[in-house]
Amino acid sequence: MTKAAPRYTTRSKVLVMRETRSAYLFLLPSLFFFLVFVIFPMVLCIYTSFFDSTMGKNVEDTFVGLANFREMFSDSVFLKALRNTFVIVIVSVPVVTAFSLWVSSAIYKMNGKVLSFFRCVFYLPVVTGSVAVTVVWKWMFNNYYGLFNYVGTSTGLIEKNINWLGDERYALACIIIILLTTSIGQPIVLYVSALGNVDASLTEAAEIDGATKFQLFWRIKWPNIMPTTLYILIITTINSFQCFALIQLLTSGGPNHATDTVMYYIYYTAFKLYRYGYANAMGVVLAIIIALLSAIQFRVARGK
Amino acid sequence: MRKFLATMLAAAMTVSLVACGGGSNGGSSTAASDAPAAASTAAEAGTAAAEVSTAAEEVSTPEATAEPVSLTFWTYPVGGWGNSDNVDALLASFNEKYPEITVTMEYLDYTNGDDQVNTAIEGGNAPDLIMEGPERLVANWGARGLMVDLSDLFADPEAADIYANVTSACLSPDGNYYEYPLCMVAHCMAINKTIFEEADALQYLNLDNHTWTTEDFFKAVQAIYDSGHTNVAAIYCEGQGGDQGTRAIINNLYSGKFTNPEHTAYAVNSPENIQALEELYAQDGINFDPALVGGGEQDLLRNNTLAMAFCWNAASQTKIPDGMDTYGITDVGDEIIPMNFPTDDGKVELCGGIWGFGIFDNGDQAKIDAAKAFIRFMANENVKDAVLASGFFPAHSGVTDVYAGTETADVMAMFTKDFMPNLGDYYQVVPGWAQARTAWWNMLQRIGSGGDVATEVEAFETEANTAAGQ
Amino acid sequence: MNTKKKMKITPYKVFCVVVLCIFAFLFIFPLYWIVTGAFKTAVDINSSSPSFFPSEWVMSNFQKLFSRQKAPVWEVFVPFGSFFTSDGSKIPLFSGPVVPAAVRWLINTVFMAVMAMLLTCITATMAGYVLAKKRFRGRALLFTLIVCAMALPKQVILIPLIREMSTLHLYNTIWGIIFPTVGWPFGVFLMKQFSEGVPGEMLEAARIDGAGELRTFTQIIVPMVKPGIGALAIFTFISSWNDYFMQLIMVSSTSNLTISLGIAKMQAENSTDFGLIMAGATLAAVPILTVFIIFQKYFTQGIAMGAVKG
Repeated sequence: MTKAAPRYTTRSKVLVMRETRSAYLFLLPSLFFFLVFVIFPMVLCIYTSFFDSTMGKNVEDTFVGLANFREMFSDSVFLKALRNTFVIVIVSVPVVTAFSLWVSSAIYKMNGKVLSFFRCVFYLPVVTGSVAVTVVWKWMFNNYYGLFNYVGTSTGLIEKNINWLGDERYALACIIIILLTTSIGQPIVLYVSALGNVDASLTEAAEIDGATKFQLFWRIKWPNIMPTTLYILIITTINSFQCFALIQLLTSGGPNHATDTVMYYIYYTAFKLYRYGYANAMGVVLAIIIALLSAIQFRVARGK
Repeated sequence: MRKFLATMLAAAMTVSLVACGGGSNGGSSTAASDAPAAASTAAEAGTAAAEVSTAAEEVSTPEATAEPVSLTFWTYPVGGWGNSDNVDALLASFNEKYPEITVTMEYLDYTNGDDQVNTAIEGGNAPDLIMEGPERLVANWGARGLMVDLSDLFADPEAADIYANVTSACLSPDGNYYEYPLCMVAHCMAINKTIFEEADALQYLNLDNHTWTTEDFFKAVQAIYDSGHTNVAAIYCEGQGGDQGTRAIINNLYSGKFTNPEHTAYAVNSPENIQALEELYAQDGINFDPALVGGGEQDLLRNNTLAMAFCWNAASQTKIPDGMDTYGITDVGDEIIPMNFPTDDGKVELCGGIWGFGIFDNGDQAKIDAAKAFIRFMANENVKDAVLASGFFPAHSGVTDVYAGTETADVMAMFTKDFMPNLGDYYQVVPGWAQARTAWWNMLQRIGSGGDVATEVEAFETEANTAAGQ
Repeated sequence: MNTKKKMKITPYKVFCVVVLCIFAFLFIFPLYWIVTGAFKTAVDINSSSPSFFPSEWVMSNFQKLFSRQKAPVWEVFVPFGSFFTSDGSKIPLFSGPVVPAAVRWLINTVFMAVMAMLLTCITATMAGYVLAKKRFRGRALLFTLIVCAMALPKQVILIPLIREMSTLHLYNTIWGIIFPTVGWPFGVFLMKQFSEGVPGEMLEAARIDGAGELRTFTQIIVPMVKPGIGALAIFTFISSWNDYFMQLIMVSSTSNLTISLGIAKMQAENSTDFGLIMAGATLAAVPILTVFIIFQKYFTQGIAMGAVKG
């Protein structure tokens, strides 16, 4: 925090005061929304997380201290949801980054029309939105007449119909696959432009020096697209953490909580189990985890 | 830094002050609306409120004018009440009598409806009127103190002929009534006759009174499975939609119970239920499907994917699906036959559905009175049309021949004869019902993915009874 | 594009193109299926062997979609208006003729996304500039808060947010979705990164010329960070259009739904009437797709811009 501290010594206090005042005037609109609709609910959330709170008028909230937090660590469903959340993030972030980098490096030198065709195609699911997309996926994964079972059984790849979304072994993988299709578009656009911006003279010089393709990529291009990579890592992580629509619409967290994420479990605890205090406590824990992760990511990004 | 923190806190305080201001505003508005409330009660007492109100306007006594009231009315798909054409017709006749009351409809579904109502309650935006059964109105929202006591409606002479078991289901343990019933049905199951015929399984059914034994049920399933129709039935368990079907098949097979007779605790953990679950799990052709709910199961019966459905009732039987011109058949024209659940002792216990109206206590007496006027109109005066629209049976013993002369008269007579008498105990009012049914489909999911039946049933019972406060 | 050199055709390149085409097919297919499905008959859709092309083009799914529920086409309420009415009802600003609810949902969604976009761009540009170019008390703390809150999923504050919106009488209004979206600090962060690129000498020069804070901002900063505003606008528009969760918890009545919510509800009500659901999905996807295809260049530039600076 000391790093970015104001440099009072070099300026007069009056100037700082004046700057502070005008700064807050500019900040006011943004700060209003931020404090009222993000920070204030967060404070309330922390507050209620110490209570046993439920829906209804005839039950008073009772203070339970840290009981909600203690319960979390013996709640097998919460732990499962936490694990699933991390599985989703840990699988989707590298896959999205690697796959989009591969696609981009394959297409960025192509002719303009072809390039924009591919870029457009991979961006389609992002624009269409998860809800419209789930409609089709739900049908494709259907146990009884879905496309995958039809193709699978008619080509002999699978012996009999698989209940993709209803089988603990496959459900989470199905969710991740759909998540991948909806989050790959943006990184591709980013990488295509980043690769296009790598100074051509650098690569040409290296080619004349006899660098192999491999060297060319790792020595010249990779360092140049590093900022883009970091940005992609950040947005993909945010995106994967927030995966909710797919789960609510496709599996409701089932079967047997195999696709529960912390995000969905908070919703479930609140509106199916009516345990608001507990749901808030989970929110607090998740917020701490994510804030720590972002801080680390940010430090890393700053360090580079 | 410390200063900034203080500023932030101050900002937060300001917000909370604003928030409190909002709350007290709401309070004062309630008080202000007490006066017209009395007026509309007076209006109700009159036989033709519209005339009373115009008369009142002429003599210009402001208290007696029927102030315009707008109500929000949310309904679950209670048979034909989920269809806006039916409801619009009923609302039109209501507005003829009460032109000053505007009713805005919202249609809920059984998959997300509860979440929707619950968020609305938290958002201070609960509907004024709601239509569903005692398991939600009485055991859940009523017990949480969110509903208006309807005892005065039960004191009306019109309420005298409501079946006693229906009245008792609407009564909360706190002595208040949170639902005024309109219609009821016995939930049953259904089979595809053609598929049974082709598998030579019709021999296992007694089509005279639509019953069968547990033994014959399993034989029939096996016969259909062997005939090459590998998906015979599904124990659907994605969510709570249609879960009475899964409860009924499991309870009936070996005469197990779901709750204790006093409706204070869950009693699923019994050898009968465990045997039923184990045999269902082991049976070829029956899938535990955690990606399916009751509504989807009905669709699968209708498109010939499944040979039987556990989620069925009179309204499902007489519903004409979109794009068809007749009821009671599948998409390819096979006949659908409703059946009682199979039993080992010949004593079927069908799960009852009781539906009626409840009023959320939004603190506005005028709205509450208007809502009561609405309930009186729909469930007493206009009860025949309202029941007819649902496709179910009236909750009043005095209301007969609802379906006389309609196209579905035969089917409804058959349901009255062969199904309604088998109506079992209405146990869905045990405390903690909402949490228990969540635990129920979770348990089925665990069993479906290979969990040990006895362990999982016990886990369910512990969870459910904790919610019941036992 | 830039290379006039002949590209060698290597086996790897052929492999790339083949794999890309396969993936392209997989990515287009869902959309293709939605759009064609919307025009298929029920028999076509439900047949056990999928028919990849409608055997007969029908409009019945759209007719069903449009005949379902009705809502007024416009209905704009004064934000916070219900504080000032005696019974807590809303003050309508204006409303329009009654149309199929699906059309209303579309209008709601556009209104929501555009409003969120405008408000975010304005507030974030102002805040971003100050955070990048001013030294003031509390800056470090504020910036740390912003970075930490940036990645926070909104589910975390689910219940407090609903309760707060309820007290502010914003629950079940489109504003209830817009305001938290505007409050999310990602935009501020992005605009700060952009504003850092503005040379300090220019600001200094402006001050020497006697330009006030506001003039400096509108005449120097805004033109300089325009590409950034574009990037942020696109990002906010798409993300609020697709933010199913906020929509799900904030609005409940038919006339306030967004198109995503509307389809999700239809899906729950008629789980297997795929024709109807796909007609709804088509209605949801086609407008935003059209916008995207027309403005593809700006979209991709804008997004790429965000990254270079971010």
